[in-house]
Amino acid sequence: MLYIRATGSISPQKTFGQAPFLTDPVEYTGNRLNCIEPDYKEIIDGKLIRRMSRIIKMGVAAAMECLKEAAVTVPDAIVTGTAYGCLQDTEVFLKRIVENKEEMLTPTAFIQSTHNTVGAQIALMLQCHHYNNTFVHRGFSFESALLDGMTLLLENPGTRVLVGGVDEITDTSHAILSRLGLYRQELHSTRELFAGPSKGTVAGEGAAFFLLADNPSETDYARLEGITTFYHPRTIIATEEAISSFLASQQIKTGDIDLIITGRNGDEKNDAGYLSLAASVFSDIPAVNYKDLCGEYPTSTAFALWLAANILKTGRLPAAVKVSGQPPLQSRQTGSGEKPGRGPQRILIYNNYLNRHHSLLLVSAC
Amino acid sequence: MDKLMADLKVQIVDQLNLQDLKPEDIGDDQPLFVEGLGLDSIDALELIVLLQQNYKIKISNAEDGPKVFRSVRTMAEYITAHQQQA
Repeated sequence: MLYIRATGSISPQKTFGQAPFLTDPVEYTGNRLNCIEPDYKEIIDGKLIRRMSRIIKMGVAAAMECLKEAAVTVPDAIVTGTAYGCLQDTEVFLKRIVENKEEMLTPTAFIQSTHNTVGAQIALMLQCHHYNNTFVHRGFSFESALLDGMTLLLENPGTRVLVGGVDEITDTSHAILSRLGLYRQELHSTRELFAGPSKGTVAGEGAAFFLLADNPSETDYARLEGITTFYHPRTIIATEEAISSFLASQQIKTGDIDLIITGRNGDEKNDAGYLSLAASVFSDIPAVNYKDLCGEYPTSTAFALWLAANILKTGRLPAAVKVSGQPPLQSRQTGSGEKPGRGPQRILIYNNYLNRHHSLLLVSAC
Repeated sequence: MDKLMADLKVQIVDQLNLQDLKPEDIGDDQPLFVEGLGLDSIDALELIVLLQQNYKIKISNAEDGPKVFRSVRTMAEYITAHQQQA
């Protein structure tokens, strides 16, 4: 069994540091959700920060926060997932190539633009010379990193692995993806994202890191029971079969699941599959959505995992997430010195990115 | 020479994104690498690009690098000498 020992998250919600768990949700207008970022100078050395673009600072800060919570100085492995990588540096580099006619290119932007820069910078700051890998698999980037982290733990008992998912949205990428028809044209509030059939979703970004261990502790967030991915199921039946197969591999039934966190994103074509599943395989299970909080981006499953881990640890659903279907198990907020009430005990995360990259994560209370 | 050094300081701060450092805070003879400003090898590459872009000067001999980039003054002297040659 694997455990989520600590987390660190920078997102369009107040999730960084000691912020209470989604007690003050941020509502957005328009179709772009940008991260609420801390003062990085308090976290990252000034000599290093000058070279870091926004996504690198986000990833490094989230990772540092996670390690600080776990009281771990140097993890035994760092595994990162990112689909787009360091877009801002990439844009600077490509622009300079065009402007300077492929001459006199500035090295910093190029060096910092590679997808593995976040993982590399974390390692440099920590002087960590252990395993360090970055997965770039579009909508499976974080899932691949998580699976790699889990496999490392199974092969190396007693170690601790830092796993994270990071992606950013820039003006250029937002403009390009808008032209591809990905985003909602008019949205008065993210609270209306799931209000009715509409075309398009909202752009998001975020950085979420987790410290995984294979032995329990008093302060663990959750148990990480399993993960699976499947690509572009042709029919809803194929999706249902993949879900059933995963649950069977975990030796559980749908009745053993207390809550589903779904990757609905407000686009009617994308959400059709989720709604169909809500009426079939998931008909008896309360469901909540999360992309009205963080937006749509390839590694958003990392935010969903952060959300699930915090729900399991606190034993409560924040008001920011709206439940559909049957009400979840009764829960009460923890008081000081009291044991958590019986909130959801087992959560299934089901997400897909643009109807192609589907993933299932199963987490449970410690 | 003074104006050139002043210009170089502004360009160095800008090119290397030296936040929290004003150009006038860089001494004319302050070491740029290791001690002093504490720049590193990536910054050296950026300064080579700076010379090419702003002054059309290429470092022909790589062994000259440490001498040229020792301080703002040595950079200015190198620029002055090579611009006169051109």
